[in-house]
Amino acid sequence: MKNVKIYSTPTCVYCKMAKDFFQKNNIQYEEFNVAEDVKAREEMVEKSHQLGVPVIDIDGEIFVGFNRAELAKALNIN
Amino acid sequence: MIVYDLVIIGGGPAGVAAGIYAARKKIKSAIIADGFGGQSLVSNDIQNWIGTKSVSGFDLAKMMEDHLRAQEGIDTIYPARANKVEKTADGFMIEVDDGKKIKAKTILMTTGSRRRKIGVPGEAELDGKGVAYCSTCDAPIFSGKTVAVVGGGNAGLEAVLDLSNYASKIYLLEFSDKLKGDLITQEKVKSNDKVEIILRAKTLEILGDKLVTGLKYQDLAGNEERGLRLDGVFIEIGALPNSDLVRDLVKLNDREEIIVDHKTQQSSQKGIWAAGDVSDVLYKQNNISAGDAVKAVLNVNEYLNRF
Repeated sequence: MKNVKIYSTPTCVYCKMAKDFFQKNNIQYEEFNVAEDVKAREEMVEKSHQLGVPVIDIDGEIFVGFNRAELAKALNIN
Repeated sequence: MIVYDLVIIGGGPAGVAAGIYAARKKIKSAIIADGFGGQSLVSNDIQNWIGTKSVSGFDLAKMMEDHLRAQEGIDTIYPARANKVEKTADGFMIEVDDGKKIKAKTILMTTGSRRRKIGVPGEAELDGKGVAYCSTCDAPIFSGKTVAVVGGGNAGLEAVLDLSNYASKIYLLEFSDKLKGDLITQEKVKSNDKVEIILRAKTLEILGDKLVTGLKYQDLAGNEERGLRLDGVFIEIGALPNSDLVRDLVKLNDREEIIVDHKTQQSSQKGIWAAGDVSDVLYKQNNISAGDAVKAVLNVNEYLNRF
């Protein structure tokens, strides 16, 4: 099982889409709300060198935004 | 190769409305969509979709997708984009981004529009590094920061309001000498203490190395260059229609919108219709896009029955 983290804000629709995608494909993930969690926000900026959400960390590989095809590839989903 | 009577390109309100009507008219049809819901997908709260007092863009997109998928007799090609449209002897050939080709007797373009960029130095380089295009998504990240919103239309005003929940200072830059957008939203923006409105400001450059540090603009009133120290810049200067796909087949106006006959939604090219923001409709609205697309499908149906 890959270690999946998502840095999100409650109002971000692409974060919702990414989480929907994980749920549909039975992918476990850990979520950090960077609107409130300042430490997570700093971690997100450090990892992604940018300020947009969502940021998704799959075993250390960083994805900015929601790109279904890229995530599917990283998670070996057809 | 499968030949459809109608292929709808795009999954926003126009595309979905068209798909539902095409299926119910038993037109042999397909819809190519890389997502549903259109541009208001990112909106937190839509209060003018007729029949619903309040709905998020995300939920509206799901409702649309569900409604479309409940129809029998339309093929949903998703997630997919059309890469190319070519005219053939008896219709059109559409190349989908997975390399597949499909044939269509008629096409309805419901490809919508995309965000317009300013095109100044720093904008592309700092995209995501303080330059942002989705205030509902990214506003919380700028909590306690100083930001600018470029564009004084509805989208810009709403970005200011989104940001006012988080940022400590917001500059609103507008090129012309007054704000545009709904008066009720203008009032909310003007009465907010965190907001400073700068009119007649032409953005020249977005500054920063790793992250945004500021913005340079020309004060068109005094004709001098000024700078702002910033942590973020939200760009909300309108949209560009996604009409490239049929650029060589139909007439576009000077805004690159597909010119249609507003009675039928037909373009200048026999067999191609357009509805929603990609067309030269005067008002870009979800309800109008859906209605215009319905009009288009009814006209397509008449056309198919005739030939």
